[in-house]
Amino acid sequence: MIAALFLAFAAAAPRPVLLWHAYRAAEEDALIQLVDRFNAEQGDYRAELLALPYDAFASKLTSAVPTGHGPDLFIFAQERIGGWARQSYLQPLDGEAKAGEFPSTALQAVTFEGHVYAMPLALKSVALYRNRALVPEAPRTSDELIAMATKLTDPARGKYGLAYPVSDFFFHAAFLTGFGGRLFDEPAHKLVIDTPEAVRALTLVRSLALEKRLIPEEPTGTLVTAVFNSGDAAMAINGPWFAGEIHGVDYAVSPLPIISETGLPMRPLLSVEAALISARAREPEGAKRLARYLVSRDAAVLRALVGRQVVATSAAYDDPRVGNDPLLSAFRAQAEVALPADNTPQMGAVWEPEKRALASVLSGGASPADALAQAQRRLTAITRAAPPEKSPWPYLAALAAGLLGLGFLARRKLRGGGGDLPVTALSRGTLRAYAYVAPAFISILVLVALPFAAGMGLSFFHHGEGHYTFIGLQNFIDILASRDYRISEPMSFYFTLGVTLLWTLANVTFHVGIGLFLALLLRDPLLRFKGVYRVLLIVPWAVPNYITALVWKGMFHRQFGAISALLVAFGLSPISWFTRFSTAFAANVVTNTWLGFPFMMVVALGALQSIPQDLYEAAEVDGASRWAQFRHITLPLLRPALLPAVILGSVWTFNMFNIIYLVSGGDPGGSTDILVSEAYRWAFQRNEQFGFAAAYSTLIFFFLLGYSALTRKLSREPGLESA
Amino acid sequence: MASVELKQVHKAFGDNPIVRGVDLEIASGEFMVLVGPSGCGKTTLLRLIAGLEQADRGDIYINGKRVNDAAPRERDVGMVFQSYALYPHMTVRENLAFALTLRKLPRAEVEARVQVAAKMLELGPLLDRKPKALSGGQRQRVAMGRAIVRSPQVFLFDEPLSNLDAALRVQMRGELSRLHQQLKSTMIYVTHDQVEAMTLATRLAVFNQGILQQHGEPLALYQQPANRFVAGFLGSPAMNFLPARVQGARLEGQGFSLPAPPGAPDQREVIVGVRPQSVTLAAQGELRGEIEAVERLGAEGFVYLRTASGPLVARFEGVPSLHVGEAVSVAVTQGALLLFDPAGGARIEASAEKALAAAR
Repeated sequence: MIAALFLAFAAAAPRPVLLWHAYRAAEEDALIQLVDRFNAEQGDYRAELLALPYDAFASKLTSAVPTGHGPDLFIFAQERIGGWARQSYLQPLDGEAKAGEFPSTALQAVTFEGHVYAMPLALKSVALYRNRALVPEAPRTSDELIAMATKLTDPARGKYGLAYPVSDFFFHAAFLTGFGGRLFDEPAHKLVIDTPEAVRALTLVRSLALEKRLIPEEPTGTLVTAVFNSGDAAMAINGPWFAGEIHGVDYAVSPLPIISETGLPMRPLLSVEAALISARAREPEGAKRLARYLVSRDAAVLRALVGRQVVATSAAYDDPRVGNDPLLSAFRAQAEVALPADNTPQMGAVWEPEKRALASVLSGGASPADALAQAQRRLTAITRAAPPEKSPWPYLAALAAGLLGLGFLARRKLRGGGGDLPVTALSRGTLRAYAYVAPAFISILVLVALPFAAGMGLSFFHHGEGHYTFIGLQNFIDILASRDYRISEPMSFYFTLGVTLLWTLANVTFHVGIGLFLALLLRDPLLRFKGVYRVLLIVPWAVPNYITALVWKGMFHRQFGAISALLVAFGLSPISWFTRFSTAFAANVVTNTWLGFPFMMVVALGALQSIPQDLYEAAEVDGASRWAQFRHITLPLLRPALLPAVILGSVWTFNMFNIIYLVSGGDPGGSTDILVSEAYRWAFQRNEQFGFAAAYSTLIFFFLLGYSALTRKLSREPGLESA
Repeated sequence: MASVELKQVHKAFGDNPIVRGVDLEIASGEFMVLVGPSGCGKTTLLRLIAGLEQADRGDIYINGKRVNDAAPRERDVGMVFQSYALYPHMTVRENLAFALTLRKLPRAEVEARVQVAAKMLELGPLLDRKPKALSGGQRQRVAMGRAIVRSPQVFLFDEPLSNLDAALRVQMRGELSRLHQQLKSTMIYVTHDQVEAMTLATRLAVFNQGILQQHGEPLALYQQPANRFVAGFLGSPAMNFLPARVQGARLEGQGFSLPAPPGAPDQREVIVGVRPQSVTLAAQGELRGEIEAVERLGAEGFVYLRTASGPLVARFEGVPSLHVGEAVSVAVTQGALLLFDPAGGARIEASAEKALAAAR
């Protein structure tokens, strides 16, 4: 009987459809409810959910889907559709998603080269939030908006008419489209930045921010939330997620106004969360059925009500609970006029040049035309065309020859050094010694040597849209030739190298100088509470450095930062730290000095304590003043301990990514970027040019290798061997 | 060359008095040895003269000039440290030249003076070595050379030979004497080794517990110690002390009777001091005792006895047959006795001697 039951069960067992997603909280709850219903309502398929962390989701998909280990169905934003479709990761859904079922903009967002590749689930664009107490009626035109905002603005009292992250292109795009601007030149589908429309749009925003001062300075996301919640900002441009962050303000949402100069609506970028079906789905039919189920009217209503999603399914808005929801309907109305964000990989290159251009204009630096022209050049440089593929054989031959040569040299050296020691003979003793060393050797091999070799190897490839092509030394040639930019320009490799060297030199000088000074103070035998000071001075070192970086970044804020407050208190005017190279660089150096001096202080303190007191007494009797004692006794005896610390410190500083990335972020115009942050940008902000980034890293490695060899030579100077 | 004068110098570290009211005059060109047991304040006194410590009270004069408030470098003293304190990162030449280059002397002169000092101390072949590559004796000589090149007014030595082995110590002692004769400088030398003190000093100052006990020529101190401490400290093995009572012309002690020195105060409790060199093994001696230990040095030796009056050390010549536990008798050389006050330890001068001293 049991067997019969089992058989019956097996026959009826629905086949599993695997759904991957990165939803959290209410959105995840809604999805779970829907999947339960789906499994209950029909018996052919059983959906299984897997939640993945958002940060790892894309890379997990990219590695799992092509090998067939991935899901049948997954939920992702439209941004990857073009790239994945081109690599045949996705199954076209042309018959499934019907026009009229979704806003045309949503459908457009999931269409690539004429085929629909996903079922649109939720719409995400920005719209206009307003504090209803201050702005009872939504402005319909930009002139109205400006007039209202101007009335409500009083920078002296910290009151602003409008708040949104002005340097973020995701927000700025609405102004661009309002002036009739475009992102791509068709049919070549090439990004274009410095159009006349873009100049006009940026000119308007600049007048809002700098001349009329309707917008707070350097407005970050958290700052926008803060000023809107405190009632200090009358209006804000933001997405649906912002609703959850508003507390204690009676607000309303409406679509963005029409630009008065052109009569065109502001069309924000529309990103669409959609259900995609893997080309390697084991249950394509089940996946399709589940996808269809998720966009059905009932499911959409549930997602809207439980998950608070701006659902794409138009029919859901017939339900009064959804259609009468002011937030959802406002964002849906906005989505209908929005500009579907491009779903090709090319789009990824737009953010960095646009951000730099916006930042440099809106901090009062460059003119819109110049900044956009500069951004266009930057875009051209970072979307470098794939170099021609090369045959790897000559390189492999050279590698083999090199390895052989090295092996030969090593053998000769062993023979020569060991004398009559037979290299090949392995006695029991040496075998045991090898066994002891093996764990360390293997872990270093796996954790250091292999990634290093892989990174080095990667620098000979070009990566674009998931494909690696062997291009020989072309990455290195492109970097070192630095053809696109003159040395005086921030995008030049040599400029970045110079900044990196200056950065390292400045920091290490301050670290050693301040560290040594404090160590000398702490050594003073008459000083009381030494232990307390020592602990306090080590605190900067104990705090994780990205936290310190963020704290300092906040302190450097022109309007709300502690440093500005201090400057004002002393009757000085606040400084826009990140608009000029000198101040931005100084801000970075100050932050990193704060982080770096405790290490040098601890090293110096230890070394100082190892200098015998009687040497100072002898020097004193010999007639040495305090300064002469420091110069002739302290410094030379500190050198052997400080030199390795200085080498270590310079290598750390050379690669101090966190501070650069978090404090100045490379502003202005990428001029404060150092080599390692450039490498990061090539890998993760410029169309994933991993090979080019690896070439940068390889150059950094060789540079530091040369540096440490040089310093090792210096430290072998005859003056040091005795100490 | 200069004189050094200390007037009522006091120094304490916290609640711990180290130097207690020292008065001492050191004449120009003298080789003054400050001697005493560990912790007697002699090194502190030297550091006070060098300026490495500040006196709590009292005055220090170098060449008649009060230097209490002068920094070490203003006092023009040369100091040789117990640890040598050679600059480890400098060659011997640089170590020697350091003080001179600080004074910005012309190069040629610096080199000349370094050469002179190096020749004097036979450091010539070592000039380009680092201290690490030198033996203990060589380092010691470099430390002395460093003081010599400057030709300071006063040389200060802080137990400079204590880190050397015995043979080297004897050799360096000789060199120091020679150096003093050659340079004719004022030298102040701290040691706890009474042999060094006796052999080197033109004048000796004995300290105990921060107090200057006695100073004078080494032999005078040896022969006429002011008190029991000085008597016990100088001479090796240390002087024997036996409690006794003066009865007429005899000293009567526990198990012995000795002729009293002329003029000894009658009917008084005293401590009899007699050096081991004046106590010899004899068939019919004044004292009897049991052997506790025998120290044979070859040509002579010392035997440690337990007597009814306490421990006693006696000298013997040659290689007599002596065994631990054996009972022997010893004789005391006539006229070798010193008497001390049992209360304060001060020496009781025989009246004849007193008269003699008065006549002088």
